[in-house]
Amino acid sequence: MSAVGLVKRYGDLTAVDGIDFNVGEGECFGFLGPNGAGKTSTMKMIYGLATIDGGRLDVLGHDVARDRRAVKARIGVVPQEDNLDRAFPVRENLLVHGHYYGLETRALERRVDDLLRFVQLYERAGDNVMALSGGMRRRLLIARALVNSPDLVVLDEPTTGLDPQARHAVWTALERLKLEGVTLILTTHYMEEAERLCDRLVIMDHGEIITEGTPDELIAEHVGREVLELTIDDDTPVEDLLASLTSFYDSYERADRQLLLYAGDAERLLEAIDHSRFPCERSVVRRAGLEDVFLRLTGRTLRE
Amino acid sequence: MSAAELVRHVAPSPRIAARVWRRDAQNFSKLWRGALLPTFLDPLFYLFAMGFGLGTYLATIQGIPYKNFIAPGLVASAAMWSAVFETTYNTYIKMNENRLYDALVATPVEVPDLVTGELAWTATRSLVYGTSFLVVITAFGLVDSWWALLIPVCLLLGGACFGVIGMLFTALVPKIDLYSYFFTLFVTPMFLFSGIFFPLTKLPNALEVVAWFTPLYHLVNLMRELATGPDLWPVIGNAAWLLVLTALIYPLLAVKMRDRLIA
Repeated sequence: MSAVGLVKRYGDLTAVDGIDFNVGEGECFGFLGPNGAGKTSTMKMIYGLATIDGGRLDVLGHDVARDRRAVKARIGVVPQEDNLDRAFPVRENLLVHGHYYGLETRALERRVDDLLRFVQLYERAGDNVMALSGGMRRRLLIARALVNSPDLVVLDEPTTGLDPQARHAVWTALERLKLEGVTLILTTHYMEEAERLCDRLVIMDHGEIITEGTPDELIAEHVGREVLELTIDDDTPVEDLLASLTSFYDSYERADRQLLLYAGDAERLLEAIDHSRFPCERSVVRRAGLEDVFLRLTGRTLRE
Repeated sequence: MSAAELVRHVAPSPRIAARVWRRDAQNFSKLWRGALLPTFLDPLFYLFAMGFGLGTYLATIQGIPYKNFIAPGLVASAAMWSAVFETTYNTYIKMNENRLYDALVATPVEVPDLVTGELAWTATRSLVYGTSFLVVITAFGLVDSWWALLIPVCLLLGGACFGVIGMLFTALVPKIDLYSYFFTLFVTPMFLFSGIFFPLTKLPNALEVVAWFTPLYHLVNLMRELATGPDLWPVIGNAAWLLVLTALIYPLLAVKMRDRLIA
């Protein structure tokens, strides 16, 4: 799959502003970004719920703008919003959906039973979908996305709003799919999810891709290996105090009473800080993660 | 929009539209006992109240007893109510509350396939409702002609016509509250003034002209003519009118539904 100069506009608003990306076969590719960054618009262009206003998008060898039906036959979609057909119970839900792909009933029934076992809903086959918990419905949506044995599955925030158990169940299912060689494209707000599942990812903001790489590459490139978190007083003269310590850290960031110092060796930095009698209430050394990269690149301003 | 683009936005794949129809039929096959009864009793009550009640005080209309006069018209209205409920409230909920159409459009189903499949189902439902009432009035001895066997075909046509109108309204309304306008200002007046209960010749001239433009007027004529033995040419005219109106509205509907579903 490849996108070149992809653009999506809604009236005067440019939601996706000429992005380029490539996703290889069998890869899990993530889109991270604050609300309104253009992730969902990008997903909708892939699965045909949004028109393409500029650039070119090729999916599984087809130009999406010209050959949408062929693309949609080979992909599966897990939307952000639950849109299960409430008229049909669990198993029938998947059967009805499979018929939209023109799948033959006998083979479809076998496929559906396998999928229900795969997402651990076989026991609930006859239940009304509205009687399922949020986590079960999400798993059913994943099963539904697989009904046509797709080569590519697009997941828009697959674990938003789920409790930790349900989230882990979804992750386990997605990891199994990766093992089977299915290409996954997902958007998420959860850095832990991206680190765990994504082979490569991009971070989007204001409709543009601001960085791209493997989770480890991004962490190494933007924040270094470790982080020292200090809680300080509002009036601490950070700049003056840090002036003598520049050889111990790579960069720093201040957010209210938190001071984050990115360093190759945060323990050594902490020792140096103790020596310089830097006034702080609390200090924590931890591994740097994607969340640090994310906040560095997209800032801490609230997005609503 | 270029001509080629317009065709792509409007022309369905019948094979894929049939898959959408199948979903609705499958749904109906589970609900029909509960769903059919009220809509079925409705025209029956009118038949009793107006035909057997009020009708006993009236002489004949156009040479036929009053109950025989209104019975075929009620077949038409059963088909109309069925189609407008399906394409207003039912469609609104499927599209906006359940986001079901988003799920369909992410499969090989494209918007014209979806619209055509839903309309085909709406027509089928009108056929089922209208025909079951036709059976009832036949049992009451209110149908006099073998031409009545053509009524189901005309019900399909009428259902499709009311379907495009109802669904176009659904494609345009932002909120479910606005349906009350559709029903109060369009459907109910049509029900009362389309010649089901009295011939339009009794209306002021202007109203008669307005009524002529409504699809129900033509469907009522079709039903009555076929139930009593038709004058062929007027009947063909009525059917053609319904066909033309449906064909005129459909492209607009397909484009508006696309605007609604695809950003």
